Amino acid sequence: MYADYAYLIVGLPVLAFVLCLFVGWHLPRGGGFLTALATFGGLIISLGIFTEIYPDKIIHQSMPWFANFNVGILIDPLALVMLLMVTFVVTLIHTYANGYMNGDPGAARYFAEAALFTASMLGLIYSDNLLQLFIFWELVGLCSYLLIGFWYRKPSAAAAAKKAFLTTRVGDVFFLAAIILLYNNLASLNLALNTGEYLLQFPVIYAHLAQIPPAQLTLIALGLLGGAVGKSGQFPLHVWLPDAMEGPTTVSAMIHAATMVTAGVYLVARMFPLFYAAPHGLTAVAAVGAFTALFAATMGLTSFDIKRVLAFSTVSQLGFMMAGLGIGAAVGTMAVGVAMFHLIGHSFFKALLFLGAGSVIHAVNTNDMREMGGVGKYMKWTMYTMLIGSLSLAGFPFFTGFFSKDEIIVIAYEYGVLINFLPYIFLVLAAVLTAIYTFRMWFSVFTGKERSNYGKHESPMIMIGPLVILAVFAFGFGLAAQGSFYSYLDTNFEHYDVNFEELGVIGGHVLEGEHGAEGAAEGEQSTAAEAEGGAEEAHGEPWYIQILPIIIAIGGILTAGLFYWDKIKKFDPSQVTGDKDPIRKMLLKGYYQHEILTGWFAEGVVYGTALICNTIDIKLVDGWLNWLSAWVMGFAQNIRKVQSGVVQNYVTALVLGIVVLVVVISLAKEVGLA
Amino acid sequence: MIPLELNILLASTMFTIGLYGLVTQRNGVKLMMCIELLLNSANINLVAFSAYLPNVNGQVFALFSIALAAAEAGVGFAILIALYRLYGTIDLDNINAMRW
Repeated sequence: MYADYAYLIVGLPVLAFVLCLFVGWHLPRGGGFLTALATFGGLIISLGIFTEIYPDKIIHQSMPWFANFNVGILIDPLALVMLLMVTFVVTLIHTYANGYMNGDPGAARYFAEAALFTASMLGLIYSDNLLQLFIFWELVGLCSYLLIGFWYRKPSAAAAAKKAFLTTRVGDVFFLAAIILLYNNLASLNLALNTGEYLLQFPVIYAHLAQIPPAQLTLIALGLLGGAVGKSGQFPLHVWLPDAMEGPTTVSAMIHAATMVTAGVYLVARMFPLFYAAPHGLTAVAAVGAFTALFAATMGLTSFDIKRVLAFSTVSQLGFMMAGLGIGAAVGTMAVGVAMFHLIGHSFFKALLFLGAGSVIHAVNTNDMREMGGVGKYMKWTMYTMLIGSLSLAGFPFFTGFFSKDEIIVIAYEYGVLINFLPYIFLVLAAVLTAIYTFRMWFSVFTGKERSNYGKHESPMIMIGPLVILAVFAFGFGLAAQGSFYSYLDTNFEHYDVNFEELGVIGGHVLEGEHGAEGAAEGEQSTAAEAEGGAEEAHGEPWYIQILPIIIAIGGILTAGLFYWDKIKKFDPSQVTGDKDPIRKMLLKGYYQHEILTGWFAEGVVYGTALICNTIDIKLVDGWLNWLSAWVMGFAQNIRKVQSGVVQNYVTALVLGIVVLVVVISLAKEVGLA
Repeated sequence: MIPLELNILLASTMFTIGLYGLVTQRNGVKLMMCIELLLNSANINLVAFSAYLPNVNGQVFALFSIALAAAEAGVGFAILIALYRLYGTIDLDNINAMRW
């Protein structure tokens, strides 16, 4: 029964968008309650659908659109957990935004754009074909642009919005190319499709992957990965995400932490069979993810802007998810469950951290951690909820992040045994840094001396409420949902006609058995055990591998405490300027990527090339045309002197003309031509 | 009867004199007179061939031509008077406003 109303999950926010856009400014708080209610309605429907289809059904509705394309709704375990997470987290964020955006003259615009974003994100999640997914994908990007540039009178916000839009567009071009390539390949198979089946539908794609040439599969996988890299802020297209913090903090929480940036990870998870079948597809995913995880974590260490720390943390955690998916080369579809689990858990505690940061900024009125310090005295609720979020992010035992992130590290070890230890090393280092930068932030904001004269008050209850609810999930979700989540997600691809053994042969994954009989046996054993969804999938690892994440988390927190907790050591972060130490400066500058990309590449190479092209255009292309027209003008200037205005001259010319004609005609007659 | 050749000779002479005047003279009235010479040389030809063939059509056309010449002279002199009022001269070398 709820399944019949699945379209309303997108429909309600669209309605809220229209209402807020046109009548928002007549309503209290810009009509924000409409947006929150619409999303809450989506949550109710999603929950209803969950009760109906859990644990072994899927919903697939579809209708023709044009030519070979359709519009449709596909709710399988993968989409369902995303729907639940997005509607839940976004409902809380919209509620919080009702307090946060109160009094902003653009509140109606904010809530309209937020509602449109919600609709697009939900539509992206349950699209049943790639084309529809791409349309929502672009809509999400548009909303991101609008919301980052929400305070568009601020030049830095306008610049950040433009940067985000252009950077993600680079990825989207690859994505679109991959879709076209995939469509062409599928079309060239001349498949006999049943009624209701269309080429770009996910079930159809899954079923016919094995018939596409492997080289083409790799190209498609790399294109899709390009799209995911852009949207999920992976290296090298991560540059837009920290700058995106120019938007309101609720936007950062909603779009740039919990939901939109996960779209890239979701895309890779959704197309996991394709990546699995494509030779080197998952290797590329793992490489990008593991590198980004460490790379972004180092930059998070030095930033003084509380939101930028969280932004780098998001980039890093998204790297963890990508790496988790890439590790599927060693552990199969189980990787999807692991990565999605981290995605869901991350969205809880990262939304919590961002909303907490927003609460602090709301009171303190600055983003700079050097001007905070001792905020905890005045904001008890914010402090303790953020502590829970930080512990979860750092992977402290029994918090959500502990189960999700460390599961990725553990399977990365399996990947290491079977294939390559590099991702494991990168992820472990990134995990250490995660714990350090998280608690550097927490200690320097909430403890210590007050380093400036800031506003000292707790935020209103409408903002604290969502924080508390998110804190409960940030703590308990991992513990409560771990086992059932994995077993549910593991069934995801069983609903489709997809043969992972066959795809593995194409992708070259069974060859891993030749590395050594022992490793192969262990790998197969654990894969088999995991496929059954057993809780003991990690039995293959030595005990120290399983203990290591706990040591990492606690050690990282203590390290941060050593430097930033005034009860252990006197250290004044406001003294740090960050200009002396070359390493610190490099990290603060984000590995000079801005200088390289904007300064050297954009202003040097691209602008220089543009100048040369401009010169060629003006001098050569326009030049010869201008020369020709100038010549014609000059010629005409000269010969128009013939029009002397003196009648006698015209008569003379007339007579001469006749004489010439007569002579010519007589001569012609003479020689017999006429 | 006067031979056809003499008539044509007369017409040719008149035409040449008219043409010469048209090209060399600057005075507007003289130009009008030269044009009359041209027209009348044509008329002589028409009448001469009409008598020679014999066919009365040529003489009818000569009459038409004379009527047209009268009208043309009227319009021409009216223009010359207008030009004189505008420029104070009918020397066509000085009236060259319609040039490049």
